[in-house]
Amino acid sequence: MHRFQHSNFSRLLFFVLLGGLLFLAGNRVDELRVYQGATLAMYVVAISSLILLTGYSGQVSLGHGALMAIGGYSAALTRNYLSLPIWLCFVIAILTAAIAGAVLGTAAARLSGPYLAGTTLALAVGLPSIANQFGFLGGEQGLLFDVGMPPASFGSDFSPYKWYFWIAASSALIAIWWLQNILRSRFGRIWRAVRDNEVAAQLAGIHVGKAKTLAFTVSSGLAGLAGALLAMTIATVSPSAFPLTLSFALLTGAVLSGVTTLPGVMIGAVTLVATPEIADSISRRFASSENVTMNLPGLLVSTLLVLVVLLVPNGPVEQWRSVRARKSAHAAH
Amino acid sequence: MFQLLNTILIGITSGAIYSLMAIALVLVWRSTRVVNFAQAGQALLSTYIGFEVIQRFDSYWIALIVAIVAGAAVGALIDVLFMRFLFSRNTQGPIAGVAPIIATLGLLGLIRGGIGIFLGNTEASIRPPVSNVGFTISGHTLAFSPLKFLIVGAVIFLMLALSLIFQRTNIGLALRASAYAPEIARLAGVRVDGIRTLGWALAGAAGAAAGMLQTPNGDGGLSPDSLDFSLLLVFGFIAAVIGGLESLIGAVVGGLLLGLVLAFVLTYVSGSLVFIIAFMVLILVLLLRPSGLIGAKRGRRA
Amino acid sequence: MIGMNRRKFLVTSAVLVTGSLSLATLPAQAFSPRYEVGVTASTIKLGITLPMTGGASPGYKKIPGGMKAYFDYVNANGGVNGRKITLIVKDDAYTPTSSVQKTNELILKDKVFALIGALGTANNKAVAASVNPGRRGIPSLFVNTGYSGFANKKAYPTTFSLFPSYIMEAKIMAQYIKETYPGKKLGLLYQADDFGRDALAGFKQGGLNFDVKVPYAPLSQAVAGTSATWITKLAAGGAEVVILFGVSSATGAALGASYALKFKPQWVLGSVGADSTTIKELGVPAALLGGVQTTSFVPAPADTNDEYVKLFQEINAKYNNHAVFDNNILVGMNTAFVAVQAIAAAGKKLTRKSLIATIEKKGTTFASSGLSPLAVSTTSHAGYTGYWFGTYDTTGTLKPNGGAYTVYTTDSGAGAVVKSTYKRPAMPAQGLPTN
Repeated sequence: MHRFQHSNFSRLLFFVLLGGLLFLAGNRVDELRVYQGATLAMYVVAISSLILLTGYSGQVSLGHGALMAIGGYSAALTRNYLSLPIWLCFVIAILTAAIAGAVLGTAAARLSGPYLAGTTLALAVGLPSIANQFGFLGGEQGLLFDVGMPPASFGSDFSPYKWYFWIAASSALIAIWWLQNILRSRFGRIWRAVRDNEVAAQLAGIHVGKAKTLAFTVSSGLAGLAGALLAMTIATVSPSAFPLTLSFALLTGAVLSGVTTLPGVMIGAVTLVATPEIADSISRRFASSENVTMNLPGLLVSTLLVLVVLLVPNGPVEQWRSVRARKSAHAAH
Repeated sequence: MFQLLNTILIGITSGAIYSLMAIALVLVWRSTRVVNFAQAGQALLSTYIGFEVIQRFDSYWIALIVAIVAGAAVGALIDVLFMRFLFSRNTQGPIAGVAPIIATLGLLGLIRGGIGIFLGNTEASIRPPVSNVGFTISGHTLAFSPLKFLIVGAVIFLMLALSLIFQRTNIGLALRASAYAPEIARLAGVRVDGIRTLGWALAGAAGAAAGMLQTPNGDGGLSPDSLDFSLLLVFGFIAAVIGGLESLIGAVVGGLLLGLVLAFVLTYVSGSLVFIIAFMVLILVLLLRPSGLIGAKRGRRA
Repeated sequence: MIGMNRRKFLVTSAVLVTGSLSLATLPAQAFSPRYEVGVTASTIKLGITLPMTGGASPGYKKIPGGMKAYFDYVNANGGVNGRKITLIVKDDAYTPTSSVQKTNELILKDKVFALIGALGTANNKAVAASVNPGRRGIPSLFVNTGYSGFANKKAYPTTFSLFPSYIMEAKIMAQYIKETYPGKKLGLLYQADDFGRDALAGFKQGGLNFDVKVPYAPLSQAVAGTSATWITKLAAGGAEVVILFGVSSATGAALGASYALKFKPQWVLGSVGADSTTIKELGVPAALLGGVQTTSFVPAPADTNDEYVKLFQEINAKYNNHAVFDNNILVGMNTAFVAVQAIAAAGKKLTRKSLIATIEKKGTTFASSGLSPLAVSTTSHAGYTGYWFGTYDTTGTLKPNGGAYTVYTTDSGAGAVVKSTYKRPAMPAQGLPTN
């Protein structure tokens, strides 16, 4: 008992330190990196919500972009129509997406792999398009979402992007810290039991359906937060901000991170943010044709994806762990 | 009255196209338990090959055959080069459910990007091989033309031919056995790997047919960025899931149901709702029958 | 053990973040106080974001080629005030998220002097709100959208429109239809988003009522069978004249389906989706375009009697890799031309401020291929104000109705639609603006 509390405390301490480090970093780099840092934090939240769903509860979602849209639109609507403080808009984004996730999860719990994949895919395609049906959603050009200027006490050279980064990074840290805790709790154990063997879990007295629905709800709430963060970084919400390619990108990020290893989430997020830039510098150096330049980022991500799935399907982190485990087993002999 | 008739006809033809894609997805699912997102890319690639053949020989029919053969070859190649390797490396854990989806998504990106780089500037289009002007009865033009007739005919033919193969020959039995119990099938002397590759090849052929038929049926244009193929994949998948993913007849029923519902929504409700209604149809079917319209229970026992 | 590992990974992650974030702490380029960002004694850097890949890219992806070709032509002739212009093209695949990211790269990494021709309404709105070129004083020249809001100087202080707004287009079309087809049954097929709604507002203001209206959702034009349902509805409503306010792919689909269903109304296309090369590239036979009418604010791309078109075609042949000359390239070159004109007029001591002030002050006198006057002023950043009507022949070549360009002009407000008396200034010698 005592040990548990201790490790809990040290983890909290670690996150606080990490936060401090990040904020120091945020002061030292240029605005583009700060902006990318905010995007990175958004991806961290979004990808970890998928990792929770897929890696820890064994469900697939091709439609997390739609849940992000729910979060983004809820935040923008409450901000614009009710003028609520920004932190409350984020909370509402989380709650709305979680409620939508609970409804969807109830249906999802009855569906196995490909059926769930199909349903969530249809949602990803279908949901953003209804913005055109209802005027208050702002149509194709969307709604503005202004989180406001940073507090005046931060000084006049504190740029809006730094403010975005602070909000996004602290949200991501809190979200990951909370997720780590929940994964170590009773719920985490239940989810893993369900993931590993549904029948055995049922025999052990676990209500499988409820466990899956809960995982979907929590995951959706996180996706909602990510959606609100995305809306913040582009200061708007619109249907085209949540295309099918976003859902696919998140899945890509989750697989690159390793779906069973939450700490690996950085790898996926960094890859998603960095690839276009790397592709850009490669093509500027070598390519002559516009066709190559424009198609290279997509090609690069796809190649990486195929390679990872073929060579290290459980993700680089898990792979590294198992290599180490094998080595230490070897050493013991 | 006449609008109603045309709406039904429109629903049937677009449904037939979804069915073709759904058949392709079902074939791969049945033989390897993979939802193949690369199907859209394979279809696109095959259709481009068809387009090149038309440029050389000026015949749609030769192109159709070549595209179908090429589609089969591409499908088989993907299985041999990627899928076998994928399955030899990971068979369990939470990733097992996602890895094939991810792998095929990656392949889709690779094919798209490749076509974009090499053929991005090619202005490709395919003219209909037979007239697309609707039949006329008592002064009214129907939304049904020789081309649509060809499409619906091709779907029915493909469904019947494949069903026959599956029901009546050893290949069908071997395909089923390889998918449901690969180890036992192997022990029974079935060449599981070869049979699975055959499933991928058949699916590639069906996808190629879908691409070659849909392209002239739409506006005729072909582009690596074509929305048509993405939507074909999405709706084909939805149709396949509605149909239960296991049965070819289910795929066709799912495709037609989806096609008809969407046609009615487009004509009588609102164009803005067509995508969300596709979702609602799917979830409604799945809530009533969690494993699709055409009983998968029977399938699973087989 | 596992806990330790995890912590190690978190530390590794932290190092990764810090590392990736500090990649760019390398000393910023030596900043020369004599010149504005993106400008040197011999160069000017501009940047554009638009869809170069993905579903929205067909047609539009030819725009930068046209712009670059014109800039190359200017550079080969000594540049603008001795400075050569480079254009950095970034693909945003039409998603606002990418537009913001790429615009940030253009501004913060590539350090462009100004943005030019950024495409898309939602995209430009997101960029304006997040990147906020207005606050930073960075000009966003001649955005590629007809959304009337971007002309509002208060909301978008550094953004300049070039296209006439969708509202203007609809008002002008309403007037034209009432004059040309009195008493005919009218149909409207439009994209059910702000683009279409802007148009609806314009038609309402122009007092045009439709007997049958068919909205379609963006992207849904690619759903199999969709176009046939439009035509069935239009035919059931008995429409004799059909106005189409949609993107190229929807135009192609509608014309194809109307041929298949033997529905032969008089089509009048909005300018957005009416580029005949794009429609033909989409696979629609040119013959289907025969007799179809449309609007444009620049000369017809095949009109070689026009001095601008003649020059642009020559430039295209020499500098644009044999791309087929069409309206997208023409519009791209025209945008580049107006930009060069503005930069030239801003003088040797080029700054962002001086450029904006120059456009506001002298914009209405700028030479360009546009056939209506620019409405830009110190209070409004509106672009062209008028359209002419033309008809396609069976090879897909657009010719002005009545043989000459009759331009109607109006505004985005309650102003009347009038026949323009505007005389376009003669093209500067060799198409190289110097003032």
